[in-house]
Amino acid sequence: MNRKILNQFNHLAVPLGLVVILGVLAAMRAPQTFTYVGLAGAVLIAAPLILAAMAITPIAIAGRGGVDLSIGPMIGFVNVTIVVWLGALEITNPFAVFAFAIGLACLWQFLLAMIIIYVRISPIIASLAGYMILQGVNLVILPRPGGFAPDWLGDWGWGTELLGPVLYILIAACAFWFVFQRTPMFQHIRLMGADERTAYTSGVNIVAARIAAHLVAGVFAGLAALCLTGMIGSGDPSQGNTLTLQAITALVLGGTSLSGGKGGVTGSILGAVAMYLVFVVLSSFNFGAISGYMTQLSYGLMLVLSLLISLLTTQSRPRTA
Amino acid sequence: MEWPIPLENPETTMASQASLRKNLLSSDRKSLIIGIVLLAVLIGVASMSVDGFASTNNARSILLLASFLGLAALGQTLVATVGGLDLSIPFVIGASNILLAYLFGTSIPPALGIFIIAVLGAAIGALNGVLSYRLQGQALILTLGIGFSLVGAAQIFTTFGSQYSGTVFSQVPAWFSNISAINGKTLGMPFPPVVLIWAVVSAILIFWIHHNRAGRALYAVGNNRTAASVLSISEFKVWVSTYTVSGLTASITGMLLLGFSGGGFVGVGDPYLFTTVAAVVVGGTSLLGGSGGYGATIVGVLVLQVLTSFLVGLGLNYAAQQTVFGLLILPMVALYARAPHIRYQI
Repeated sequence: MNRKILNQFNHLAVPLGLVVILGVLAAMRAPQTFTYVGLAGAVLIAAPLILAAMAITPIAIAGRGGVDLSIGPMIGFVNVTIVVWLGALEITNPFAVFAFAIGLACLWQFLLAMIIIYVRISPIIASLAGYMILQGVNLVILPRPGGFAPDWLGDWGWGTELLGPVLYILIAACAFWFVFQRTPMFQHIRLMGADERTAYTSGVNIVAARIAAHLVAGVFAGLAALCLTGMIGSGDPSQGNTLTLQAITALVLGGTSLSGGKGGVTGSILGAVAMYLVFVVLSSFNFGAISGYMTQLSYGLMLVLSLLISLLTTQSRPRTA
Repeated sequence: MEWPIPLENPETTMASQASLRKNLLSSDRKSLIIGIVLLAVLIGVASMSVDGFASTNNARSILLLASFLGLAALGQTLVATVGGLDLSIPFVIGASNILLAYLFGTSIPPALGIFIIAVLGAAIGALNGVLSYRLQGQALILTLGIGFSLVGAAQIFTTFGSQYSGTVFSQVPAWFSNISAINGKTLGMPFPPVVLIWAVVSAILIFWIHHNRAGRALYAVGNNRTAASVLSISEFKVWVSTYTVSGLTASITGMLLLGFSGGGFVGVGDPYLFTTVAAVVVGGTSLLGGSGGYGATIVGVLVLQVLTSFLVGLGLNYAAQQTVFGLLILPMVALYARAPHIRYQI
């Protein structure tokens, strides 16, 4: 047990260290971040990315080099359909909107899982095709940013109350993962990710395991879409797209390996928080026209460095085919 | 097995040759044939349904755009042959584009500037290769990180002390823009030289892949790394050189796009992020490594470019084109790049 905790800590050491260092930097450069209102704003802005990074984690753990490239456009898809479709039907009941968002995201993930399992093409190609399809479909549904989110959802965007719905969603998502992590299904997914052949020969139902991984991802992605819609208060066909690369960056910073079988959402959350803190720290400097590029440069360097550190801490060998 | 191998009876030898031929037909050739048929059907349907599709002007613009995509996808094909993926290509294209525009604005001779950028591109590629060698399963993330860093650094470098961010204005030499301008002339003939360059590079590459030990080494490593190392092929060298070539071709594409557009713009590479992968995959190179080739990618590039032109002719915008591309990838890959069922992998 002790050893297990130590191992757990080992793979979280890098993201945790990053968050602490960046947190101290942010506290020095931008102390207003750690006031009550500052934290409320931070939770609001970081929530879509945190949930998106959580969403792609079970898929990465499930192996086959599975990284869901379609996650960003898919969150955008739920966003524009809440605004356009539900807006046209005048459905504003919170339960209905929640059910719609999570249901739609799960449906998409289920479709993706079906393609990966039965068409048997590599997950990255399936999700790449999904990225391109949804990116276009979003623009067809809503050609330019606009529309209104349901009032109660749009009110989230004020971001002045820390103890608000966005924080509760994050807590609920973590609780959901905490419970899921204790199910045998999670162990099956991890075993499948680490070695699919072994899992299959040991009698693990790999079809069910892969579908489960994708459905869990769908739940998180649906929540991410709700938080995004609440944050911007309207529909935006392209805002979601940028989430793909950011979520993958957060995932890798958090120490989840794309080769499968390793990692968890704790790392992904820390990764996403680290990315938000980088943004805070960099915007506290007066870089003017180049501040966007500084952010890009730091994300890139963080990504490369965290990969290289993970190489040093874990004894991974080159893949043998 | 004993050595020397005893003479076999002629019938079994012929049977094995026949099965070899059948094998060739079933794997790489199949995707190539499907691609060519698809291309022919597309051209046929497009010429009938879109006025002016079958014109020299349109053919010229398709070929010109295909040359850019073809050169960018060249490196991606080689990398995919050994089982990797290079997502830094769009960023190298964008960075080369603005850096060359920047260098044209200084007193450095244009030819030297082009050389510097090409070397830089190759160096970035080599860096990708060296760093990702131990992280092969995560090569796409690593190249993405390098790409982010590069494009960020290039923009910081070029916008220092200028208030225009993302774009660089300078005078592009006429001889250089002629290479990739739509009305460029090749030795008096009415198509831009970049098309000829692409054709020559393709011919050399395809010949080299099939008739050279180093070319075959790509497939050896892509298919079976253990076997390749027994043949004393250095996996490291092959891996790093494919990425180096990828960085080089991406930077060349970025420079040629500067000649095409006339002004440096860092976002010029963005459409190439997934399109190079799509071209490789539609052509029939499996991302798992060991199969396909650049000939297949050429077909894939032409399919995508003809399809783009057709969809534009039908009045579809960029968004709808992307959707069609996505819808095209799935069945194409399902036709020839399906993994065997897990029960046959044990």
